[in-house]
Amino acid sequence: MFTKVLIANRGEIAVRVIRACRELGMETVAVFSEADRSALHVRYADEAYLLGPAPSRDSYLRADRIIDIARRSGADAIHPGYGFLAEREDFARAVGEAGLIFIGPKPSAIAAMGDKAVARKTVAGAGIPVVPGTEGEGSLRDDEIVAIAPQIGFPLLIKATAGGGGKGMREVASAADLPALLQAARREAEAAFGDGNVYLEKLVLNARHIEFQILADEHDNIIHLGERECSLQRRHQKLLEEAPSPFIGDDDELRRRMGEVACQAARSVDYHNAGTIEFLVDKDRNFFFLEMNTRLQVEHPVTETVTGLDIVKEQIRIARGRKLHVTQEDIHLNGWAIECRINAEDPYNNFLPSVGRIAQIIPPTGPGVRVDTGVYPGFEISPYYDSLISKLICWGETRGEAIMRMRRALEEYRILGVRTNIPFHQSILDSHRFIAGQYDTRFVEERFSINAAEEGKETLPDIAAILATLVAHRQGQQAAQIVRRGERDTSNWKWVGRWERMHR
Amino acid sequence: MKYLTTVDSQPYEIEIKSEREVIVNGERVEVDFQSVADEPVYSLIVDGRSHEAYVYPEQNGLSVLMVGRLYQVTVEDERQRRLREATGGLTVPTGDFHLKAPMPGLVVAAPVEAGQSVERGSILVILESMKMQNELKAPREGTVTQVRVRPGDRVDQNQILLTLS
Repeated sequence: MFTKVLIANRGEIAVRVIRACRELGMETVAVFSEADRSALHVRYADEAYLLGPAPSRDSYLRADRIIDIARRSGADAIHPGYGFLAEREDFARAVGEAGLIFIGPKPSAIAAMGDKAVARKTVAGAGIPVVPGTEGEGSLRDDEIVAIAPQIGFPLLIKATAGGGGKGMREVASAADLPALLQAARREAEAAFGDGNVYLEKLVLNARHIEFQILADEHDNIIHLGERECSLQRRHQKLLEEAPSPFIGDDDELRRRMGEVACQAARSVDYHNAGTIEFLVDKDRNFFFLEMNTRLQVEHPVTETVTGLDIVKEQIRIARGRKLHVTQEDIHLNGWAIECRINAEDPYNNFLPSVGRIAQIIPPTGPGVRVDTGVYPGFEISPYYDSLISKLICWGETRGEAIMRMRRALEEYRILGVRTNIPFHQSILDSHRFIAGQYDTRFVEERFSINAAEEGKETLPDIAAILATLVAHRQGQQAAQIVRRGERDTSNWKWVGRWERMHR
Repeated sequence: MKYLTTVDSQPYEIEIKSEREVIVNGERVEVDFQSVADEPVYSLIVDGRSHEAYVYPEQNGLSVLMVGRLYQVTVEDERQRRLREATGGLTVPTGDFHLKAPMPGLVVAAPVEAGQSVERGSILVILESMKMQNELKAPREGTVTQVRVRPGDRVDQNQILLTLS
């Protein structure tokens, strides 16, 4: 049984895993890139080792170095977090071959679910409905894809076989657009995953993206922890998640059926540890298997908040070979949880990433508020990694209370130095459609604009005018002082006269 | 000091007597103005009502972000206003457009070459930053006069990538 865990990740998730280890009384080993020397995960861990230069491929993707550090430091298990090496079968295998425990599923399960095309074929074989697409065909050539596309029908999606997080994904409205978008998708997939393979999938309209968290131990027990609603996305990146789903609501029968199918999908690949089954649900409540994420999810805290379970600790217990200490009957969803992903992006400038040094952070606190973050004042947001700087999670007895609490928490949250998408979340939480729970995966792109959302709201132009003028005035005064401070001991005219004489 | 301030194209005449007393469109207002946690967050109490906002300098003025809403504000003092009125809007926006990197990153592609004419919205450079590929597009039609980067180049924020005439 292991007692020392290496965390092969960075940012908020590395901090999250370190916290779970600490609470279980285990030692922690952090790894870091040159850009992350002063990151929070390095400061919190018992031991920390340099991996290499800032780019991921020279640091957090260096499986060989990570395993070597685990050996040298005496760590006997590795937690991969999410992203980076978390869903790499070869990494999980190498960890096992080095005599270490991989806190996650078996390599064979990662492989079966990791190749999205193979995954679709596997679960379809187990009788689970999937979205129509070019399943089972790992690597199609461009001409084959162009030939098959009309059979699936437009609109459709190009998705990266090795993909996730919306990278290498493109929406295709018509056959004419296909070749150009195919190139873009392949290029992005190649850059993100080192694998340019793509497949096609029918685009389900008005779809909700609902996923089920499962836990599976090594003794044949599989349970689900209910669902998460992740329909609020922009460019296929999740921005806000909630548990339970307002779409499923009190339809316990649908929840039970989807949960069972999720467990069945996990069983079809002999899955162990924590995992997530993603479904697309159409407006008639038909659900289709989308993919399985064989790792901890970014949005796991909403499930933790409503179930009371610590999913990272459960992962560690399962990896230690323990039996699940809860059964399906023990799982009850208590109240409502919402998570907002706080990204260093400017919502008023096309969500362009914002980099720089964090000057100041005033996090929200108080009842029902949780902040998971890996940054602090003085930390430099670098362009090398993703833009997630913090996750804000609020709990309420009801969805209404959770929304009101999230609103006040967002208003309290001050992050200075970089631009964040907090105003975007504030606008979403004010929108009638969100409050009514009526949104699908296209809501943000098609029916929501931060500028339009601001119209009709209570405005305070007078206060804005006074504030801006006072700020401009103060800055003008300071600028004047700087000029005065640089004054020479003699008059400037005299000084210029002397200077000119000198140069005659 | 007197200022002409516009908020989302609504004009205000604001005279600042001190940081305690301002005159807004001829009306005297008592204010309590403080910066919080250093700039750019400011707290303002007017008539017992407590407000807090981010105030950022922008290219053409200031952005005020308050309770999840953004206000575009320009502030001119009398000298600046006279200067603008004297030039009478004679500064016609002409000349070249320089595409600058909005953030540091890696050039993934620059699918245009010098001499090529492009339409508004054409992709000029694809810049990867924070694991996202960002397509930088032409803000207007024009001819590419110079491409200063090549795929694989690392660029700094505000570095000129390409020029359009």
